[in-house]
Amino acid sequence: MTDKPASPSPGDANDAGDGAVPGDGPLHTGSPLTRVLGVLALAAVALWLLYGLVWSPPDVEMDDLVRVLYVHVPVAILMYVGSFLCTAASALWLWKRTPGWDALAVAGAELGALFCALTLLTGAIWGRPTWGTFWTWDARLTSTALLQVLLLGYLALRRVDPSPGGGSQRASILGLLLIPNSMIVHYSVDWWRSLHQPATITKLDPTIEGDMLVALMVGLVAGGLVFAWLLVHRFRLAWLEQRVDRYDLDAAVAARRAEGGVQGNPGNPGSSGNPGEPGVQPA
Amino acid sequence: MWRDAALVAERDLRIELRSRVATNQVAPFAVLVLVLFAFALDPDRGVLERATPGLFWLVVLFSGLLAVSRSGSLDEADGTRDALRLSGLDPAGVFLGKVAALVVELLLIELLLVVGVAVLYGTALDGFALMAATCVAAAVAVAATGSLYGALVAGLRVRDTLLPVLLLPVLAPVLIGATRAFETSLGSIASADAEGWAWCGLVAFFAVVYLVAGALAYGALLEGS
Amino acid sequence: MSGSILAMTDAGYVGAAWGGAFVLIGGYALVVVRRGRKLSRRVPPGERRWS
Repeated sequence: MTDKPASPSPGDANDAGDGAVPGDGPLHTGSPLTRVLGVLALAAVALWLLYGLVWSPPDVEMDDLVRVLYVHVPVAILMYVGSFLCTAASALWLWKRTPGWDALAVAGAELGALFCALTLLTGAIWGRPTWGTFWTWDARLTSTALLQVLLLGYLALRRVDPSPGGGSQRASILGLLLIPNSMIVHYSVDWWRSLHQPATITKLDPTIEGDMLVALMVGLVAGGLVFAWLLVHRFRLAWLEQRVDRYDLDAAVAARRAEGGVQGNPGNPGSSGNPGEPGVQPA
Repeated sequence: MWRDAALVAERDLRIELRSRVATNQVAPFAVLVLVLFAFALDPDRGVLERATPGLFWLVVLFSGLLAVSRSGSLDEADGTRDALRLSGLDPAGVFLGKVAALVVELLLIELLLVVGVAVLYGTALDGFALMAATCVAAAVAVAATGSLYGALVAGLRVRDTLLPVLLLPVLAPVLIGATRAFETSLGSIASADAEGWAWCGLVAFFAVVYLVAGALAYGALLEGS
Repeated sequence: MSGSILAMTDAGYVGAAWGGAFVLIGGYALVVVRRGRKLSRRVPPGERRWS
């Protein structure tokens, strides 16, 4: 296949026989790019599993619990990547006003929200046996929880605004503020919690070396590839969602016009394009 | 820009004087929540006293939500938004005017709450300078952030449920900072004065950030809605 | 603290973490791809991809 991911691939499924809009074009969000990414991601994930669960040794202090960190750390980093993408794409949309940036912003935010939830989940799972409790109000957890709320708020705003143009405007400003907000929150929470908690609370960053370091690195690469794969699909989905709104609107308008024309009702006001009715014109 | 701000502030405040929403609805709400906290936290066990700074600022935040929502709805009636857009007023000026009106309302509510807390919770008031500075800084912070986010959700049908979700997490640093400053000034925790002022500084910094951000973004939001 | 935890319980936590990650990411991937297919049919072919 020689086609690029940015253009419809004629070799793909192009049957229009079951109600799809007729014509040639991909009927899914996949492409050679995603296939390559997908294969690489699966291979990396397999390696990650092996290193993380089998080949790397238990930690000196944490025993096997350190294996939770091989998920937790990559996932946390990806949460920041997604959030950063949202803010950057929002800024670029405000600058360039092309719809691609808008689609990237929502894709980044949604992935950020997913990985943030995973960060909180894996963090709590790690915390239960380590600290005896699923949750503590330590700076990192608290800031992460707030980031989750910020991301969910952004996604909520995106979902409620029906107008095709205005929705992007509002969302882009909210998205632009996402990273600054989370930074201010992080700083405040950090300062606050440092007053009350001596630094004994976390052995969250164990000295990692050897196979453990490899496991972590493989995790980062695998996570990154999975993230990229998800991002491409979600971006294309966002693009489709924009087009569907517009296409549905255009189709509805065209249908109304057609109705007016076909009926040929002389009393029908505003039936434009009705050449055979000279007496229809309002006085 | 400053003249436009004064114009808008004057309009918002005049509407408030005539309709008395803040005095008849938001203020009683604030006092009511203070009373509800007493029901929830049992005044006999000392929890209420220790928690006073935090409770105070929680009530301010919730009342602020109402005030911001009200400020936004002033512009939703009868195509006022279009009128604002076409009037040639500087959008940054409109923003600052709305913020100014909100600051006045919030300061009055805070004053009421200080009295309320002294009377209902028996708080011994002290450290007035720090308290006053924090109140002003927080009022500006809440007003500026609220006006910006209020414009973000203006005109949406779900405005009233979406605004708290968007605004409260953003205001978390204000809550943290203002509460710590109050804890220092009211003496409920033993800490140096300087630390209280540092927290007040954080709130003030936040206020400035959102004043600037709001002034810059308001024009775009006015156009887009 | 970790010395008092049984190794068996450790495995449970590790499994929960990895399993949760796979389930959530896999589930999300499924939803996105499925919705992509559904929406692709409703959009004219020329407009289905970013350009």
